Amino acid sequence: MGKEILPVRFAVLDKVLNLARANSLWPMTFGLACCAIEMMATAMSRFDLDRFGAAVYRATPRQADLMIVTGTVTKKIAPVFTTLYDQMPSPKWVIAMGNCAISGGPFAFEGQYSIIEGVDLLVPVDVYVPGCPPRPEALLEGFLKLEEKITKTRRFPGPEKRW
Amino acid sequence: MVEEVKSGISQLLRERRPVEEPYGEKGYHLSVDMAPKDLIDVGRFFKEKGFYLACALCVDFRDYLELVYFFAHHEGHCRVKVTSRLDPQAPYAPSLSSVFGSALWYEREIHEFFGVRFEGHPNMAYLFLHGGIDFYPLRKEKVMVSEEDRALLNSFRPEEGEDTFFINLGPQHPSTHGVLRVVLKMDGEYIERAEPVMGYLHRMHEKMAENRTYLQFLPNTGRMDYLGAMAFNLGYVTAVERLCGIKAPPRAQYVRVIATELNRISSHLLWLGAYLADLGAMTPFLYVFDDREQILDILEGITGSRLTYCYFRFGGLFNDVDEDFITGVRRFIARMRGRFQIYDDLVTKNVIFINRTRNVGVITRETARQYGVSGPVLRGAGIAMDMRKKEPYAAYGEFDFSIPTGSYGDAHDIYLVRFKEMEESLNIIEQALNGLPEGPIMAEKVPKKLKPPKGDLYHVVETPRGELGIYIVSDESDIPYRMKWRVPSFANLMVFPELVRGCLLADAIAILGSLDLVIPEIDR
Amino acid sequence: MRSINEFSPVLLFIVVAVIFTIVPIFIAYLIAPRTKGRKTLETYECGIEPFGSAWIRYSITYYIYALIFIAFDVDVLYLFPVAVSYTHGDRWWEFVALIVFVSLLALAIIYAWGKGVFRWERKYFP
Repeated sequence: MGKEILPVRFAVLDKVLNLARANSLWPMTFGLACCAIEMMATAMSRFDLDRFGAAVYRATPRQADLMIVTGTVTKKIAPVFTTLYDQMPSPKWVIAMGNCAISGGPFAFEGQYSIIEGVDLLVPVDVYVPGCPPRPEALLEGFLKLEEKITKTRRFPGPEKRW
Repeated sequence: MVEEVKSGISQLLRERRPVEEPYGEKGYHLSVDMAPKDLIDVGRFFKEKGFYLACALCVDFRDYLELVYFFAHHEGHCRVKVTSRLDPQAPYAPSLSSVFGSALWYEREIHEFFGVRFEGHPNMAYLFLHGGIDFYPLRKEKVMVSEEDRALLNSFRPEEGEDTFFINLGPQHPSTHGVLRVVLKMDGEYIERAEPVMGYLHRMHEKMAENRTYLQFLPNTGRMDYLGAMAFNLGYVTAVERLCGIKAPPRAQYVRVIATELNRISSHLLWLGAYLADLGAMTPFLYVFDDREQILDILEGITGSRLTYCYFRFGGLFNDVDEDFITGVRRFIARMRGRFQIYDDLVTKNVIFINRTRNVGVITRETARQYGVSGPVLRGAGIAMDMRKKEPYAAYGEFDFSIPTGSYGDAHDIYLVRFKEMEESLNIIEQALNGLPEGPIMAEKVPKKLKPPKGDLYHVVETPRGELGIYIVSDESDIPYRMKWRVPSFANLMVFPELVRGCLLADAIAILGSLDLVIPEIDR
Repeated sequence: MRSINEFSPVLLFIVVAVIFTIVPIFIAYLIAPRTKGRKTLETYECGIEPFGSAWIRYSITYYIYALIFIAFDVDVLYLFPVAVSYTHGDRWWEFVALIVFVSLLALAIIYAWGKGVFRWERKYFP
């Protein structure tokens, strides 16, 4: 991503950095609608998100590296949304949580004038978590998929490997 | 009360007389049709009698536009519908904002959705819609925005003052409970003026209602207020049942009450956790979610969803409750009574909490009447109005519960009211469980395609946030002609600019939290 | 008169502190990826562009806080020589002198507290 100062990259350094980044993803609070409540439930004691290093929610984009888009993105909030995405320092990732963020959800009907059908029309999305709203376990699986994307290895067994 | 209002209006307008309507079918007692020029006199009459403006909306019948106002009374039992016809080519009407403060935002909303111009309105800027829109969305044909309105599209720019600066309590904020933006004009640390900007989550529910059948619209109701989804579901289902004349069997009514009260407890618990997190206390947030998970487990067993429920159907329920549910609820009630003691020790007697919420955001009765405030905010101010007792629906009339009220109207009183409401909800659930009748859960003759008779209906229920009003106009097809949702958070937010004038910024957060807003229901 | 060698730990301390701060910045400068969007360097104000000027005259209550801070800053300046020459209890009257000095300065704070400098009452705008 972008230009770097050193003309060479060290594989071991990259591996260590990616491991560090994946295990301490700091989300930014961008709760728009109903999915935000399920995101909060994921961070609480039952479906603990803190064991993956990720419950340090920052309100400011300057200190965050993950944006979980929970809820419908309307045309009115789209400029605010892209501004916040720009203000995050790289490397940054985006999880689109819920049907509204993936493709407009139940609000995409013919004659609609106010929502943006899918947040990937605005920013590049790394992981899609479907559901309306997705269960907290689904969001945790989305997190682990994001870690897998960053580090190319998967730490915990996935559901298909268990049974 | 109905009689004196009827005679008072007949004296006021000599040519038009109010018509008495059957309350059981329509939801209002009187309806008056008048010319637009008489609106302000009638508004003043209602203000003298102590009424409040519950809702103002517009319906587009293709030959004319009809402005509809609902006036209701806090203590007495009288609801009056006032209508006025406008020419669709030149829709002008006088503004009621000089009489009722709540008309300010209702008229802005009608203006941007229908194109009606209100004369005498101080600030006709757009409220909900985004800047690029160029037609009036809720009109039946596509009517482009007129030239004078085009200038208002992006016109929100408050005037600057000397020695003040602007700060945005913006859409992305951990304490605004959703995407609400408040533009604050600050004088140092004090707030001189606050102006909420809404519409960041406008999801076109009312337009969708005109494109979906009654059953297809049912999931939308859960998304409007996701914390109190059962109450919105219940309101919609009972409204349509009332319109069609379907009666749900008693077992269904009891289960509806149990589910709605469980949802009320979970909504108040989340409010408690989020409010205290705003004030800086992290611990209650974690305790609250633990209790909420117990409720969500119980409700997931019967409904299948955790947050946005769609459990009720026209005529009853779709799934019966079983023994697991009943034992689960009994266990939950016993556990919750013990947990209230923890919350009492942790929060209610906490010195920091009392200092932050005593004398903060005091709502007087006059303010409440002026803006149509409802729910725990109104009960904290001392007016005991609860729609479950005032206009009972769905078996609430058979239970014995009290309405907690505060005396002073500050944030601490509102907190105590919500706390006691949770305890009352537990009482209601216990009574309902003890008296749960056997029988069917679905009424017998419910048609597959619901075609309500021609007419309109204004149905009111009590959500955890206050008085929800659903106005349905039906034209005998299976798609509603117009559906308007009068949401409690919209009216509650109207008091915020007045309460916060002259406060410190930290107090503004405390006041905003005590109003318990859920933004998707404001933006609809 | 002490020799200058006794201050060599202080010099080492200063050097280590400077290295501790500069080296992470340098490492981050080398390996961090650099991207810039259109709005990356804008002021953060919850996603909205800030409008209105922030160079205004502030209210007098902030001035009182600044005044109290300056007074106690000078107080700390006076306490530095005391810290160097304190004998840890060999001469008991040093402790008493120190307590008297600090409490006289604290009296100023108590006076301000009683006058209501820390209570910011609600303003009533017309």
